[in-house]
Amino acid sequence: MWGKNKDLDQIESADRKFQKELVSGVAALVLLSILGEATEPMYGYQIAKVIDGQAEEAPVLKQGALYPVLRSLESSGLLESHVEPSVSGPPRRYYRITEAGQTTLARWTAMWDQLRTFVDTVMKGEGHGQDG
Amino acid sequence: MVRTVDEYLRLLRQELDGSDPAVIQDALADAEEHFRGALAQALNGSPGASEADVVPAIAEKYGSPQEIAAAYRQMEARLSPGLGRRTHAGPRSVFYRFFGVFADLRAWAALLYFVLSLATGIAYFTWAVTGLSLSLGLLVLIVGLPVAVLFLLSVRGIAFIEGRLVEALLGVRMPRRPRFSNEKTGFWQRIRDLFTQRITWTALAYCILQLGLGIFYFSLFTGLIGMAVYFIALPITVFAFDMPAYIVIGDTEYQAVTWAIPFLVVLGVLLLTATMHLARLMGRGHGALAKLMLVNDKAR
Repeated sequence: MWGKNKDLDQIESADRKFQKELVSGVAALVLLSILGEATEPMYGYQIAKVIDGQAEEAPVLKQGALYPVLRSLESSGLLESHVEPSVSGPPRRYYRITEAGQTTLARWTAMWDQLRTFVDTVMKGEGHGQDG
Repeated sequence: MVRTVDEYLRLLRQELDGSDPAVIQDALADAEEHFRGALAQALNGSPGASEADVVPAIAEKYGSPQEIAAAYRQMEARLSPGLGRRTHAGPRSVFYRFFGVFADLRAWAALLYFVLSLATGIAYFTWAVTGLSLSLGLLVLIVGLPVAVLFLLSVRGIAFIEGRLVEALLGVRMPRRPRFSNEKTGFWQRIRDLFTQRITWTALAYCILQLGLGIFYFSLFTGLIGMAVYFIALPITVFAFDMPAYIVIGDTEYQAVTWAIPFLVVLGVLLLTATMHLARLMGRGHGALAKLMLVNDKAR
């Protein structure tokens, strides 16, 4: 029995840490593929809403953490952006995927598929048998 | 519990305390863009609600100021600004440390900046002086105020553009997006801000100062490089084109004797290398000056 709160806290913080590590690894891939699908440049809040709409439970990725990732993708040349004034307040930064971003997205998607298949295989226990 | 956008921004600024001012400015801009967008939508959806009703939920989704500050710090640690590719770390021979400067993009970029600074200096100065005299001259009339406002806005624009140039060529982190005022700030308040914020005036001073600095940088570096190239090219000019190796110091002309020419070539190479070092060093200095005068310290 998990009688003590301390144990519960520890489990929770370990869970949170694991989730954070998982998510931070794929955040760039998620953003890149959303912008890869988009037909028009999108701004941060728009992207956050798309993610919100697709996450079934509570969103795993904090919306505010998307912006630094967008920025770092931009500075590696995978995205480009421009600023447009908006009617409702501060100007918005619109992001669009670049050609380099598209090819990177294709490569990363392949890597992701590979990793997913691998993890699935391991977790289903296939190949664990003594003689295959 | 965060109840207003301004409060969140204040907390985020607090969390980022000690980070690069330009990072702070970017992080605050991102957060404000997001919060204002989300707030406008939430208030549209439920007309009766107030800011304090919806902001907590927005902040919850956005992430706590601590988390977000950490995300920006992490990103900043991974990215180095501009031509940030530093040449190899680790111990190197004295020879490499001296001549390796030619392999350092930063030194070349700084040199380019200093040569360009004459042109940008003239442009900024002309614009600043024209705008300043036009605004001051027209201030006795009612049209003077709008002219002055437009002029000061243009100076802020120049500050941003010069900031981009400084980051790209001198590698000093500068704001990557223009500043904007708070949405709630009224029209007159914005104009008042324009006049009262330190950065407007330091940017204006920078525009004027840049002419003097530009002339100095340009003559210093073209002079030094010209001299170095002349020394290095002496064997060609003396032996191939039969031109005497003259150096004029004051009223006296010195002609280099033939045996001195190899030494002068070596001197030229050393001078060129030293010039590259000087460019890199002064690039850092000018970058610091630009940051001081062109970045809003309110972001600190």
